[in-house]
Amino acid sequence: MKGFTPLVLGILATLAFSWLGLAYIPDLQIGHLDPQSDEEGTDIYPMPKSGMAERGRRVYIANGCFYCHSEQVRADYAASDVDRPRDAASSPTAKWGDRRSAPRDYIFDRPALLGKMRMGPDLANIGKAAPAEEEAALPQPSPVNPANPAPPGASPAAANTSPPPGKAAPQQNAKPPAQPSTPTSPDGAPPAANATPAPANAAAEPSSKPAAQQATPPAPGAPPPAVNASAPPANAAGQQNAKPATQPPNPPAAAASPAQAAAAPSPAASPSESPVPYSAAWHHQHLYAPRSLNLDSDMPAYKFLYEKRRVGGEQSADAINLRGEGAPGEGWEIVPTYDAKCLVAYLMSLNQSHPLNEVKSAALPAASPAAAKPAAK
Amino acid sequence: MNPTEIPLKSPASITDLSVGDVEQVERALIDASTRVPVLMFYASAVVWLLLGTLLAAFTSFKLHSPDLLSNVSFLTWGRIRPAHLNVMLYGWASNVGMGTAIWLMARLCRTTLRHPLLLVTGGGFWNLGVLLGICGILMGDSTGYHWLEFPSYAAWTLFVGYSLIASWAVLMFRFRRGDPIYITQWYLLAAFLWFPWMYLAAQTMLFIVPVQGVLQAAVNWWYANNLLFLWFGSLALGTAYYMIPKVIGRPVYSYHLAAIGFWTYAFFASWTGMQRLVDGPFPAWMITASTAAMILCIIPVATVGLNHHMTMRGYFPLMRYSPTLRFTVFGAMSYTAFSVLGVIISLRSFARYLQFSEVSVAYSHLGLYAFFSMIMFGAMYYIVPRLVGREWRFASLIKIHFWASVYGIGLMTLMLLAGGLVQGLNMDNPALPFTESTQSVLPYLRGRSLSGILMTVAHFVFAYHFLLMLLGLGRTASVPTFLNPVNPEPGDVIAH
Repeated sequence: MKGFTPLVLGILATLAFSWLGLAYIPDLQIGHLDPQSDEEGTDIYPMPKSGMAERGRRVYIANGCFYCHSEQVRADYAASDVDRPRDAASSPTAKWGDRRSAPRDYIFDRPALLGKMRMGPDLANIGKAAPAEEEAALPQPSPVNPANPAPPGASPAAANTSPPPGKAAPQQNAKPPAQPSTPTSPDGAPPAANATPAPANAAAEPSSKPAAQQATPPAPGAPPPAVNASAPPANAAGQQNAKPATQPPNPPAAAASPAQAAAAPSPAASPSESPVPYSAAWHHQHLYAPRSLNLDSDMPAYKFLYEKRRVGGEQSADAINLRGEGAPGEGWEIVPTYDAKCLVAYLMSLNQSHPLNEVKSAALPAASPAAAKPAAK
Repeated sequence: MNPTEIPLKSPASITDLSVGDVEQVERALIDASTRVPVLMFYASAVVWLLLGTLLAAFTSFKLHSPDLLSNVSFLTWGRIRPAHLNVMLYGWASNVGMGTAIWLMARLCRTTLRHPLLLVTGGGFWNLGVLLGICGILMGDSTGYHWLEFPSYAAWTLFVGYSLIASWAVLMFRFRRGDPIYITQWYLLAAFLWFPWMYLAAQTMLFIVPVQGVLQAAVNWWYANNLLFLWFGSLALGTAYYMIPKVIGRPVYSYHLAAIGFWTYAFFASWTGMQRLVDGPFPAWMITASTAAMILCIIPVATVGLNHHMTMRGYFPLMRYSPTLRFTVFGAMSYTAFSVLGVIISLRSFARYLQFSEVSVAYSHLGLYAFFSMIMFGAMYYIVPRLVGREWRFASLIKIHFWASVYGIGLMTLMLLAGGLVQGLNMDNPALPFTESTQSVLPYLRGRSLSGILMTVAHFVFAYHFLLMLLGLGRTASVPTFLNPVNPEPGDVIAH
């Protein structure tokens, strides 16, 4: 090049050209999308996330979750993302997604955490994998059987994100006998079961076995240690409440039950099982001690998002029920911090299963979005 | 054939001023004017390099031993990794690149650096920005954008520093003597103009007036890829265009090729980026455009490679002696490998498997380490003796540095490529549980950690050697330090 000026102009122009092509024009094309709704203007998708979930996104970013987890499902012709089942899912329908992700799915995301690496599974639809009863559970009064006098302190496996902690009554680890409530997950293994006395565990073990297996089908190898039941004090009282076996097959309501438990004065204490996969309780336990749920997991533990504290009175509703190695000592419990709750709220909010008109959905006809609307939120 | 690096003579010792010597005095004066700022950039770069290396080792080990020190929030993997990345990008690579660029600019513009203290101030702001940014990331203030994790307070500090540095480097052009603008100057000038352009565009579109949804990811990768190609790539290519001809004492083979290489590079490389999002939620044309640009990038790669090769033809044996040449040629060759891998992983049929695997990590390291950092090491081996007036003390340390780096990056690339391939194939097979894919890559990740140890050794050896130079403990000799002994006939060491 001869002169200085043409050189500088050329340099600036090339990058401007690329900016025009890769940033500006795409912005004209897909930079101003609106949520989709049906004719009546209802059934709007997507919706902005709740405040807790938005805060959870900050926690998710702060701890670099997006370096290992993508949030995008590629089209069926491009990869087998839509065919991939979730490892811990009990129902065959819990796949990474029903359809590919589309720009409209992300219009309220800031930032949109598409991800570049999958050292962990894709999370675009992790919220959909949650047991459907999750929300329903709260209001439901739970039938409790005060079968065994529970040690005070026993806590419900705190499953839901928001149940108010403490339930007052000393619990009984009664197990809610099969809860009819919600059907979705077979493993109903009483996830709800909380407080499991340590000795009891041992005793319970055999009986719980089957349930456990159901609960964690994908990873048989994984020890089912993770019980929800954490109630340390409970341990002391070695009860055998283990009746989990009793309600084996059905209690789908796994998620529900913890919730119920939370709500109810006497949570059912059952021998511990792992929480229902992808329920809030499961996420908490998974964040706190990933390898208690899946031995092969490569995820670091996020113990710093949890607080270990003395049980005052009775155990908090949202304490994590851990058995074995990771369990807090007697008289102690592990409860999520607010950040952890937000993070889980964020995870639970990730759901791209709503059909979009512009995307062909494998599972559902795109034509009837309303009808297709998944129950899960 | 004898190595022909320029021996450094201090101006005072020159009594006999022939024409060649006048030039040498002039060079010595220019070098002296750049001494403080360039050494400051180098010293801070080396400090960041060590820190980044430790963070890298930590990141790598934690990946296969997730429980290692995971209970402290600021040591969690998801914070260490971006800290490592940003330390390397903005602490090591940018500092060393800017230091080299300033020195080259001064030399090529044949002008002394005026007011070097302003540059030092700029460098201070830049390093402060990096420091703030790293602390921000470790405290959980990351923004969530790849390569732009620095929180805004750090980003703007960085930018203030950059403005001071770059305006000074560009201003040197005003004072240049000698009209033809050498090819290296194009690259350097371009890099200095491109960086603020892309940085401001990205900051604006991501933070000030954020674009909607997935476009943030598009802007993010547009920035990240341009940072890699147009900032680091230009700095490295410009440096290689200077070092190779300089060391072997022969002009660049073809100026035409160089011009073609430069403009095609500017044109095509800037259009890449979206291929990192293959099959993501974007209009297909965006990704296809970037993939096409990636393939077209083979043109600049081929022209630059051919040009270097033809320049070097017949002189390859010099790599036996000159550390600068050895590092630079290795880097230039890696540029080809890096580009070819870039094309491969952007093709949809490969991306199906490789898109979310460790292969992309191999790709980044090939670009930033095997290509960029090796060329910069070479440049430092050339420049530092001219700034401190001493020669490198131990040829053996240079050799250790070179081989540990080469084996380190080689092993790392192989491990990540092989591991990523296995991982990707397993990931795309829905019959296998997902954890199968992560489990299958673990052995390779352990191998990668091993390679990290090699590179750690290399960097500490280099830092020690550099420290000796800074302390004035280098050799006082009129001949540069060669990797292997040469027996030049007297007078064979040509000054030029």
